Amino acid sequence: MPNVNTRVFFSKTDRAKYISHLDLYRVFQRAIIKSKLPVWYTEGFNPRLYIQFMLPLSLGQEGLREAADFRLTEEIPPEEVTERLNASLPLDLRITETSVPVMKNTDIAEAEYKIEAELSREKFAEFAQSEKILVEKKTKKGISEVDLKPNIKNLEISDKITLRLPAGNEFNLNPALLFEAFEKFSGEKISRIKITRTRIFAKNGEEFK
Amino acid sequence: MYRNDEMMKKLDEFLLDVQKPSRYIGGESGSVFKDKENVDVRFAFCFPDTYEIGMSHLGMKILYGLKNRVPNYWCERVFMPLPDMEQKMRERNIPLYALESLDPIKDFDFIGFTIQYELCYTTILEMLDLAGVPVLASERTSLTPIIMGGGPCVCNAEPLCDFFDLFAIGEGEEMNLELMRLMEECKKNGLTKAEFLEKAAQIEGIYVPSLYDISYNEDGTVQKITAKAPAPEQVKKRVIKDFDSVYSPDNFVVPFTDIVHNRAVVEVLRGCIRGCRFCQAGFIYRPFREKKTDTVLNQTKTLCENTGYDEVSLSSLSTSDFSDIEGLLSTLTAYTSKNRINLSLPSLRVDRFNEKIFEEISSVRKSGLTFAPEAGTQRLRDVINKNIKESDVLKGVKIAFEGGYTAIKLYFMLGLPTETDDDIRGIYALAKTVIDEYYQNPNRKKGKSPSVSVSLSTFIPKPFTPFEFEPQASEAEIKRKQKLMTDICVDKKINISWSKYDVSLLEAVLARGDRRVGKAIYLAWKKGCVLDGWDEYFDFGKWKEAFAECGLSMSFYANRTRSYEEIAPWSHINMLVSHDFFVEENKRAHEGTTTPNCREKCSNCGVIKNIGGECCKKI
Repeated sequence: MPNVNTRVFFSKTDRAKYISHLDLYRVFQRAIIKSKLPVWYTEGFNPRLYIQFMLPLSLGQEGLREAADFRLTEEIPPEEVTERLNASLPLDLRITETSVPVMKNTDIAEAEYKIEAELSREKFAEFAQSEKILVEKKTKKGISEVDLKPNIKNLEISDKITLRLPAGNEFNLNPALLFEAFEKFSGEKISRIKITRTRIFAKNGEEFK
Repeated sequence: MYRNDEMMKKLDEFLLDVQKPSRYIGGESGSVFKDKENVDVRFAFCFPDTYEIGMSHLGMKILYGLKNRVPNYWCERVFMPLPDMEQKMRERNIPLYALESLDPIKDFDFIGFTIQYELCYTTILEMLDLAGVPVLASERTSLTPIIMGGGPCVCNAEPLCDFFDLFAIGEGEEMNLELMRLMEECKKNGLTKAEFLEKAAQIEGIYVPSLYDISYNEDGTVQKITAKAPAPEQVKKRVIKDFDSVYSPDNFVVPFTDIVHNRAVVEVLRGCIRGCRFCQAGFIYRPFREKKTDTVLNQTKTLCENTGYDEVSLSSLSTSDFSDIEGLLSTLTAYTSKNRINLSLPSLRVDRFNEKIFEEISSVRKSGLTFAPEAGTQRLRDVINKNIKESDVLKGVKIAFEGGYTAIKLYFMLGLPTETDDDIRGIYALAKTVIDEYYQNPNRKKGKSPSVSVSLSTFIPKPFTPFEFEPQASEAEIKRKQKLMTDICVDKKINISWSKYDVSLLEAVLARGDRRVGKAIYLAWKKGCVLDGWDEYFDFGKWKEAFAECGLSMSFYANRTRSYEEIAPWSHINMLVSHDFFVEENKRAHEGTTTPNCREKCSNCGVIKNIGGECCKKI
């Protein structure tokens, strides 16, 4: 049986942003079963449909180019895979492209985010100029203090805010931390915020593919 | 396709601050979206409990699919938010909304509740209030929304009459569409709510409580129930005659998050042939009807394919009573095992439990097995007409032990009519015999020991059963019996647990209550009672206050023997089984005489007379 590594890129927006990472596996699993695509199951006592998500997305954040891998046991044209999965997924999860994995998830280094929030641009610009932006980050070992400042790249402040932050298994920074820090800095609560992960980049600077 | 974007924006502001937000946002696969412009009748289908519980309920899925098949009708789902969500909604003046459109349900044509258990009554009031709809029917004068209820509890809907405009008695598939058609017509012609209700009352199965007057005797019992024209004197339960071809959903809304029963469910039969005298479901769902094996197989396939579920469960009151159960299981497992689908079979009777059935269920997973002897001695099992013998239980247990199970759970009731201390000792003796059975097995795993959990619930007399005349045992009596049980139980392998008496008492009161009980429900709700089925929210103190304040005695409803001649609060409802039959069965219970099941011999319960025979004869 051939074993075709397959990578789908998908968007997770709107209502689907409330699907937790844990639940996302189940949603994809059911969509794949529904689509009747021939997929590979893990071997062993409890065979499990193999799906791997490249980079978890925080609950409540939207993603425009998320990636997940699974394996097909037959060659199927990528357009057909996209189409069949889209017919089976909930409306707010859409496959945008099916391809063959080029990079590994360990190659992931950075992600680009777009933030739409009700806040004062001037104040945020002032905040972004701070020498240090110290935040508390929860890790497996406990809480550690991180300076966001040197980690923020390509920051642009217009009606939207865009920036890049380190991403991946080794070191990942959630943009929500930045806005929590801003709330402390400015003393005002952001009532409405929408965070969208727009793209994922690899260590070599290329877009993850 | 329509969605209320304004509401979405409001929800986005705080949904991340509540537990498991995905249950409050809809958009799951299988949910139905329509273009609001092309919809004439909108139905908010409410389950008065949490999303996790409500989404596991088959009846809702059936009616959801059925109504949404009609292009210009739109049925949407609504559940009770947990306190963290509700508080945030109230702070922000967000009224209860439906999960598909996110529109407030107060603007719908129907707000329909499925009423599965008595302890959800205050939750219904809370949902109406959160929706911004007056909870009292008398305070709602416009045509819409019509507040309606269905499900098993409405066979005695009297305690809820203050709050509802109408009830649908019996099976809802036909009635629901007829009501929606009537609404479509009434809206077009500009009719009033009163006019709508008069017309609705003429649909078979529809009970419009405001068209009935109740008078009471001095002793508090019902004196007379008078119907006002054009309402019928007796509301007759609706039954689907051709069950094999009744609508069955070809898709489910598949939740994002995990729920209580997250799987495909296929209904295989309705009604029950057994006639256990304590069991309301066994009488109110008569007659017994089943689907053809092929129908079940096709529906299983369709549903699994459309949902992507990897588990399917067969639903019925007693799946092992399906005539062709072995044929059905081998047909189904041929399909499920090929497609990596687990088949689960709840509701098996121990006397129909054999190696073959055991193999089918044990291929899924080896958790504990539960059997329900209900009573500890043969004498008492004969009284309740639970026609199983100790040898049946032991045979079932033996198969389970041989198959590698070590944990067995046994269900019993305390406070059954005629129960004596010998029956209580019998419960322990039976549990002990089960333990002994384990050590009889020569191939048992060394170093492992069996465990038996004995779960004791308090018997609750229900309307439309032969025990509807019986008193519920008093708290002192139940407590004494529970103590007796712990005193005689010396075996550490036997673990005893029981349900709270307060909860059973309230259930008994609400189950056989009359219209006056509505006031107590209202007061209890005003005092903050909601989600009474949840241990962490149940507050019996408030209920006691509520009953005291409206001058009602709980024991009048729960702990009193009712004469055969007394006019029951539900006597204008015809559930097809006759009053005479219940009286006869009650007498037989006290004599300790059993009644054969419907397949062995017709017991003339009255269903044939009421609907014309065909259904029962086919068994």
